[in-house]
Amino acid sequence: MTKGNFEWSKVAVPRRQFLLGASALGFSAATGASFAGQAFVAGGKLKTRTYADIRSMDPAFSQGVVDEEIQGAIYNKLVQFKPGSEWGWQLDAAASVEQVDDTHINFALRDDIGFTNGFGAMTAEDVKFSFERIIDEKLESTNKPDMSALDHVEVTGERTGTVVLKNAFQPLWSITLPYIVGNIVSKKAVEAAGGRMETKPVASSGPYMHKSWDPKQKTTLVPNPDWKGDAAAFDEIQIYHIDDEKAAEIAYEAGELDFTRVSLDSVERLKANTPENSTVAEFPSLFYVWLGMNLDNPKLGNLKLRQAIQAAIDLPSIMAASYFGAAKPSTGMIAPGLIGHRDSSLIDAAADLEKAKQLMAESGESNVSLKLSILNKSANVTTAQIIQANLAAIGVAVDLDLHEGATFWSLGEDKTLELVLNRYSMTPDPYYATSWFISEQAGIWNWERFSNPEFDKIHTDAQSESDLSKRDAMYQRAQDLMEESGAYKFITHEATPNIYRNTIVPALRPDGLPLYRYFKKA
Amino acid sequence: MPKDSDLVRCPSFNQSLTLRNATRMISYIIKRLGLAALITVLAVSLLFLIIHLIPGDPVSTMLGPRATPELRAALEARMGLDKPLPIQILMFFSNMLQGDLGTDVFSGRAVTDIVFGQVPYTLVLILVSIFWAATLGIALGCYSAVNRNSLGDRLAGILSVSVIAVPAFVVSLYSLLIFAVYLKWFPAIGAGEPGDWGDQLWHLVLPSLAIGLSWVGYISRLVRASMLEILGEGHVRTARAFGLPESWVTYKYALRLAILPTVTVIGVGMGFLLSAAVFTEIVFSRPGLGKLVIDSITTRNYPVVMGSVLFSTLIFVASTTLADIINAILDPRTRTTK
Repeated sequence: MTKGNFEWSKVAVPRRQFLLGASALGFSAATGASFAGQAFVAGGKLKTRTYADIRSMDPAFSQGVVDEEIQGAIYNKLVQFKPGSEWGWQLDAAASVEQVDDTHINFALRDDIGFTNGFGAMTAEDVKFSFERIIDEKLESTNKPDMSALDHVEVTGERTGTVVLKNAFQPLWSITLPYIVGNIVSKKAVEAAGGRMETKPVASSGPYMHKSWDPKQKTTLVPNPDWKGDAAAFDEIQIYHIDDEKAAEIAYEAGELDFTRVSLDSVERLKANTPENSTVAEFPSLFYVWLGMNLDNPKLGNLKLRQAIQAAIDLPSIMAASYFGAAKPSTGMIAPGLIGHRDSSLIDAAADLEKAKQLMAESGESNVSLKLSILNKSANVTTAQIIQANLAAIGVAVDLDLHEGATFWSLGEDKTLELVLNRYSMTPDPYYATSWFISEQAGIWNWERFSNPEFDKIHTDAQSESDLSKRDAMYQRAQDLMEESGAYKFITHEATPNIYRNTIVPALRPDGLPLYRYFKKA
Repeated sequence: MPKDSDLVRCPSFNQSLTLRNATRMISYIIKRLGLAALITVLAVSLLFLIIHLIPGDPVSTMLGPRATPELRAALEARMGLDKPLPIQILMFFSNMLQGDLGTDVFSGRAVTDIVFGQVPYTLVLILVSIFWAATLGIALGCYSAVNRNSLGDRLAGILSVSVIAVPAFVVSLYSLLIFAVYLKWFPAIGAGEPGDWGDQLWHLVLPSLAIGLSWVGYISRLVRASMLEILGEGHVRTARAFGLPESWVTYKYALRLAILPTVTVIGVGMGFLLSAAVFTEIVFSRPGLGKLVIDSITTRNYPVVMGSVLFSTLIFVASTTLADIINAILDPRTRTTK
């Protein structure tokens, strides 16, 4: 195994000397010439955007897609998500992986993967260390639940081993192994760093390696010279931290990004006037948005009233006004393409005013006034205003209660919560969706305080159900139960629209999120 | 008995006058610094209270939705959030005096490192903005005052009032669309490559334009008004009567006094510049204190919020104190006023 002792050479000569730039600017201003297309996007560089700054390069503490977009390029996993339109995985650091029974997965590592900074070849000991540290109580990993089914990893050879689970756990193949906690780190490197990493990876093993992180600005990756797999396509990947999608769109149109997610309300404009040499592509998202009703609030204790509210909400209007036609109504929490997705919901997407009024009359309620709590984002505000108008038609007055992020996310504890417009993120396994709505989560993430023993049992049993058709039916039933409670009106999964230069071939998950290690030049 | 003119020529009298002036100046500076320290403590305490009283907690944000109660309790204890608020404030100041502002809730990095990494970006942005705004504003103000009621004065007036009325974020957006997207003259995002000064200055053009533009108008109006007032005063008439050149009278006597309110306004204006920098940093996706504050407030990352707030307060207090001291140097009446 070759060592990865690298010396980083600094760019000694500034890329654009100020005086040169000022002279050029003066010339341009005088002659009307333009700098269009010059210098901002260099040939071997891929410039992309992420919506938040990184938090940790340690798989035990990293938080979601922002960190994983980088980790996925610099670390290896036994298996990685396969780019394309269907969810699936492909081998990565593993030369072979075999599930021998419900709780044992044998693996054999490739013999050509090593860690940078001289930390040697990747061995089964590294896999054992990487996985077991996540469940180590002392480490207090925030990602422990994703590895909760792990009992231990048995090392059977230098590059072979067996992942031993406590119980059958189907999300292993959709959440655990191909996502954050599946990243394999160097045991020697992490131990040398004191047992955990912060924002700087101590050793990489993927096609790219971490060059620098400029806080609140960008992360730069460069090819790992020791990587023996398919060569990294770009000399440098710069991932800019741009919170606002509109700012990212401007940066793209200014020629400073090659790939970015764009806002839903820009899709129509960008499709009609696509910037030169660009492609706008829409992907189904896994997020789910719904209107929730707090079952513990006496004002919403009447099932007929809740059903009237469910029937009165008009999803086509919301899709048109809040999502500009770029999203579709959802049938539940589980998006199309995933196990447990329902082709239709129990309640129609379009409002049925007659039925809603009839249910309202049956409820015996009158002069109903409710507060709808929302996160202060434009799509939420528009959706809430449509719901307000929909419910006014059946005699329910709605006051909108806007919150900024941190305040909104603490509302779950509020027992007096009434209506809430909510949006949760999702991973490609239905287990992740149902886990928030079990009785144990009431008042934590189950803000509706929905409690149903059958639902709780489905959540537990479906995790280990290996018959996929049975598992599918179980999660469909779970969503039926949620709707039947009258506490939920599922709204949409939104969408992920991206724009990119035709000079690159992006590699994306089915939900449109980037897998940078597989990005290529066109 | 010596005459007055003899007294002025007397070295011991001059020495005593200089000494008295120096003593007054030192006493003035000490008072101002004391006041600055008091304002910092009060402002930071108040902000600490406000931040901790609004709902939302960093523990939930950091640990995510699936944290166990034990993990939450351990983190709360580690961050000192389980202690009463007054104790937390005292702990903050006590740690602060030892140079410890705590660690970032998410990354575990020292807050001082994080803040020190961002402060230069904001300071440079503000200083460059105010530098070119003051240079242009003072020149424009002088021109208007000297050429009172001329066509140039009227045009400068219209221009100044127009730019005062345009908020920084509007200038940011339009300058981005025109100069970055349409003309592609300047970059739209970031602060440039670290270590590449040319690139960093290149990235400063549009953000500093956004922040400084309204100040050009503001400063030019202020200088014009002050200049007109000073140019009509007795000592200026006397100087003219002595036959001093007009440019000498304008720039040596009138401008020196007319610039005093501008110095004060720029000092106090640092607060406004800081808030304008927040918008600008977000629109241009620039690193800086503003972006840091917004990001850390939305995630209730208390240690980073407090570190950023402390430094913002220090920048504001330091600039106003500095403006007061410069005023006192330029105008001796200021330091003798009780």
